[in-house]
Amino acid sequence: MEKIAITGLGIVSPSGLDKRKFWANVSHGRSAVEKITRFDASLYASHIAGHVHELDAYSNVSSRLLKKIDLFSHMALVASELSLQDAKIDLTKENLERVGIFMGNAIGGWLYAETELRDLYLEGREGVSPFMASAWFPAAPQGQVSIHYGIKGYSKTIVSDRASSLMAIGYAAKNLIRDRNDFILAGGMEAPVTPYALLCCNTSGMLTHNNANPHTAYKPFDKNRDGFAIAEGAGILILEGQDRVKKRNAHVYANIIGFGTTTDAVNRIEPAVDGVQLAKAIRMALDDAQLDPSQIDYICADGAATQIGDVSETRAIKQVFNSHSKKIPVTAPKAVFGNMLGACGALDVAMTILAMEHSMVPPTINLTTPDPECDLDYCANKAQSKNIKNALIINRGRGGINAVLVLQKT
Amino acid sequence: MSIDNKTSTDLENKVKDIFQKVLDIKPEEIVPGAKLDESLGIDSTELVEISVVLKKTFNVPLADNEIKKSHSFNDIVAMLKSKGAN
Repeated sequence: MEKIAITGLGIVSPSGLDKRKFWANVSHGRSAVEKITRFDASLYASHIAGHVHELDAYSNVSSRLLKKIDLFSHMALVASELSLQDAKIDLTKENLERVGIFMGNAIGGWLYAETELRDLYLEGREGVSPFMASAWFPAAPQGQVSIHYGIKGYSKTIVSDRASSLMAIGYAAKNLIRDRNDFILAGGMEAPVTPYALLCCNTSGMLTHNNANPHTAYKPFDKNRDGFAIAEGAGILILEGQDRVKKRNAHVYANIIGFGTTTDAVNRIEPAVDGVQLAKAIRMALDDAQLDPSQIDYICADGAATQIGDVSETRAIKQVFNSHSKKIPVTAPKAVFGNMLGACGALDVAMTILAMEHSMVPPTINLTTPDPECDLDYCANKAQSKNIKNALIINRGRGGINAVLVLQKT
Repeated sequence: MSIDNKTSTDLENKVKDIFQKVLDIKPEEIVPGAKLDESLGIDSTELVEISVVLKKTFNVPLADNEIKKSHSFNDIVAMLKSKGAN
């Protein structure tokens, strides 16, 4: 595919909002997963999560607007502003009819919705905020960012569970190639630390129950894993075509050069054990990038830390990369702050870009007991130095949604 | 006495308090003749929210969408007055 440049990063995460701080925490493997304190979650089988603590310090959203929107839209607004600043884009000088917004999330804005639904049953229809209808639904962040900046170009919200934001980024890149937009704010946001959203996540059976040890509970590819810990956050990237980047002499972190997606079609929750459809998505992305598997230097794994998830992901990588698979670092740095569900793809792209910039592979933390069925180099517990030219990012949604993106350093 | 005479009545002050509490609009922003949409940036959903609070606070009958006949702060105060609010 034609190369699409990434020129701005906006990160809102439990490991920090400033990209330097974020990278320092991720590359050093400092866990930000902790006990949930927003509400009494002690009766939930999994009650640990990554929380965003510094949002207000970075936010210029008015208190009047905050009453009308959910946390996931607030995080999207802050991440969007950070990404535009990082890309040095002045929207007053842009044709807003040609700017787009592509965003993904898995569950919508339940912090707002739950409170209002409670009031509906306790107080009747007049107990419900009229903003409920426009605050909770998955496209709300796209709408709020659009209204905030007056952005009027072709835009979309994609809901594909944990693959949502990687898909949003992939489809945004394809859209730029079709010349529908001048540039796009692409990424995702998720706010799952709420009573009902946490319940939904728990019933999937994919969350860790190791509540006594929040920092070490999320352990991708470890034999003693028992699922992931959830996290809240947002990641927004600025994507632009090459002509525009040259014209404005913009700094390019990396280019998106390939995208592939497939589905497993076997189960409501789990992916297919054989990894065949994920392998197909990886091949699609490599073909799109016109790269041979041997040219990939780095893989950012989905790293669900479930038995079927980790084993099938490992199998898919081995099917595509064959003997080369053991030479490529395969890391799941999201274990540091938790799995941001629909937003995790955007953060995986951000971490991959920072890994390229620092020539360093961030670690998969908490991997102390290797699983014989997971026998790749997962960069266990300690960052590794490595020049990274081509990187591949894997995200997988519940029920076997596979999304793969290929990045190339400039 | 109306808001145009620069001396607010109790009813006007109470409505201003509600605007501040519900919408974060400060009393000093509500100048005489302030239009709900143009001057105060109030959208249709905010009007619904205000309507519910006014109905409860003053215990007056207010049908769904009735508040949409009001275009200014003064209109709202006058409508409440006509319904016996004080």
